[in-house]
Amino acid sequence: MTKTLEAAAPVAKRRKRFNAARWARGGGLHAVLLAVPVVLVYAYFSWGPVIQGLVLSFQKTNLIQPAEWVGWSNFTYVLADPGLVQASLNTAYFALLALVFGFPVPIVLAVLVNELRKYDALYNALAYLPAIVPPVAAILLWKFFYDPDATGMFNTALGWIGLGPFPWLNAEHSAMPSIVLYATWAGAGSTAIIYIAALSTVRTELYEAAEIDGAGIWRRVWHITLPQLRNVIFVMMLLQLIGTFQIFTEPFLFTGGGPNNATQTILLKIYNYAFVNGDFGAATALSVLLALFLGLLSVAYYFVTKRWSTS
Amino acid sequence: MMKLSRRHVLAAGSSGAVLAATAACSDPGANGATEDLDPAADVTISVGDQPTEDKPEELAAFNDRVAEFEAANANITIEPSPEVWEAQTFQAKLAGGTLPTVMGVSLTYSYELIENGQLPNMTPYLDELDLTGDLNPLALDNVKDDDGNVYTIPTGLFSVGIAYNRNVFEQAGLDPDAPPATWDEVRAFAQQIKANVPGVTPYAQMTTNNTGGWMLTTMTYANGGRIQDDAGTESVMGEETIAALQLLHDMRWVDDTMGREFLYDQESVRQAFAGGTIGMVLQAPDAYDTLVRDYGFDPAHFGIGQLPQGGSGANGTLTGGTLKLFDAKATPNQLLAAAKWIKYYDFDKYYDEAVALDDAETNAAAGNPVGLPGLPPVSQEIYDRYLGWIEPHINVPLEQFAGYTSSTLPLIAEPPAGTQQTYAALDPVVQQILTDEHADIAQAVADATEVLNGIIAQAAR
Repeated sequence: MTKTLEAAAPVAKRRKRFNAARWARGGGLHAVLLAVPVVLVYAYFSWGPVIQGLVLSFQKTNLIQPAEWVGWSNFTYVLADPGLVQASLNTAYFALLALVFGFPVPIVLAVLVNELRKYDALYNALAYLPAIVPPVAAILLWKFFYDPDATGMFNTALGWIGLGPFPWLNAEHSAMPSIVLYATWAGAGSTAIIYIAALSTVRTELYEAAEIDGAGIWRRVWHITLPQLRNVIFVMMLLQLIGTFQIFTEPFLFTGGGPNNATQTILLKIYNYAFVNGDFGAATALSVLLALFLGLLSVAYYFVTKRWSTS
Repeated sequence: MMKLSRRHVLAAGSSGAVLAATAACSDPGANGATEDLDPAADVTISVGDQPTEDKPEELAAFNDRVAEFEAANANITIEPSPEVWEAQTFQAKLAGGTLPTVMGVSLTYSYELIENGQLPNMTPYLDELDLTGDLNPLALDNVKDDDGNVYTIPTGLFSVGIAYNRNVFEQAGLDPDAPPATWDEVRAFAQQIKANVPGVTPYAQMTTNNTGGWMLTTMTYANGGRIQDDAGTESVMGEETIAALQLLHDMRWVDDTMGREFLYDQESVRQAFAGGTIGMVLQAPDAYDTLVRDYGFDPAHFGIGQLPQGGSGANGTLTGGTLKLFDAKATPNQLLAAAKWIKYYDFDKYYDEAVALDDAETNAAAGNPVGLPGLPPVSQEIYDRYLGWIEPHINVPLEQFAGYTSSTLPLIAEPPAGTQQTYAALDPVVQQILTDEHADIAQAVADATEVLNGIIAQAAR
């Protein structure tokens, strides 16, 4: 045994020394040749725009006249924009509302569907249905539901039980919650599918054992389902956080950022800089700042949840 | 034959390649940078605003005119494109260089595009075609730089007025032939509509997608004020803007005559108006086209008057229109060909009776409005002669436009610096006044002034 180890050590050492011919003969060259197109395409189409964006954020350009280097002026402009604080707060507010009210919905939905013994495929389909409706069509439809008149759809329905009429999108205090309500409806289905898939990997013996021990449905959910879903929940939470910080379609189509900037988000601001103002420098500068922030958030989140998920 | 070096003509566009200034200056390649103007040389241009397939008659008429033009100008090949101006995608397409050689875009961009070098200097071509002298001098002022160079051709001009539903007016006991002339009347009429016609928003205001700022600018003009100084160096909003917002506030919160929807933009307010649920709204006469043709609004119910005035009256109204965007990267020969095309397509009807009649007949057959009032792109005498030619084909109820067409209000151009940004920055102000009863109007205007000055500074960098 000792002999073998002693003999193996020098071999391992020799192998560490790089030999190009051997490497090529051993398939290394083929691997590189195979990878090159993919890497190039990825670098050009994926990293290219990222780097281009970074460069643009230090330039003044309309992409027709030659670009001028303007140093940090795009950054100082977007940071000095009085609307930035409000847009950041709005984005954070949306993220918070979506986390508190929107995040648990798909989990509950998934657990409920999972508990069903019959017709679960049907409920699966029903839960997923909103995700099939194209967002633009769904938003236009909901805009119609949110009609602020007493004769509006939601207001009429709520009127039957003596509530409202509510201004929905037409008041600063209710515009963002209205958008969150829609976003929850639209997003719950596709997220629930992921949870349902994760739930199907939970071993049924655990439930059976718990049942034998006299655990009711709530204790089973609390002590078996949620711990088993923990890693999926953490990943979904991170994805949702990143997603909510990039919210654009909903405020763009529902309110255009109004009323009085109550639904103006960071991404909508970036869009307006670029495509309304034609100020690509300012747009990319704010994008770079957002990317930095999301990067930091992801790192922080990773370290925090790493501790949780292994504990 | 006139020979112009490209260097003279295209000072602004000569170094157009994206993000590659130094390379482009020395690159005679793709754009033919060293080419001289030669009106007889073979040239291919693309032209936008081709009608789409769902309007077969208009498309056929357009294609016929392309064929006629090509027959008359054997060296020019036209590639029609259905590209139309769209505020949300315009900047991206312009930057990406995917727009045709010439197409129509909102006149709002005029100063910005000239300042940014995104429009070529068209003076030599317009002179060559002898077109400059015939254009409406008022509109021409909007498309010149300080040295008097002309960068584009303005067409489809309009000024803002007040559109109203004649049917609603009648139900409210108002005279449908007497639109409100002052803002006090607008307020009183709105109260009367509210009292007599349930389920109708007496007066609606646009507030989103830059239309809020656009209309606040218009109302400020009506009160005798300005948003920016004439040179576009600073924001000068004052009492007139505050008075406009105060009126909106009072109509919303005191009279409750503005309904419940405060996130209208141009499209949605026209839809609601066509649905018969709006009494009055600020619009230009081109609204008639959309309302009647696209949304099936009864033409008999459409009325439009001049912009109601505040303060001492007769202060003026805001003008707008379309400008022909020529590609700053096109060659001199392409630019000349494009200018020839515009002259042929948009202006020949004002000079040639047969063309005028043909155009009017085609439009009438396609159900398009013929003789829709607006500001002429040519001088008034030429325009009146043209209207005389097409009179038998006019299908628009002109008497319902009388309050608008009889207007003698001064016409005021849009704020010059960062026009769309300026409008965008004012949207939230109008929204705030309409959705927050206790909003501090003076403070909102002061805050907006600060934002506008930031925008002006960024635009002037």
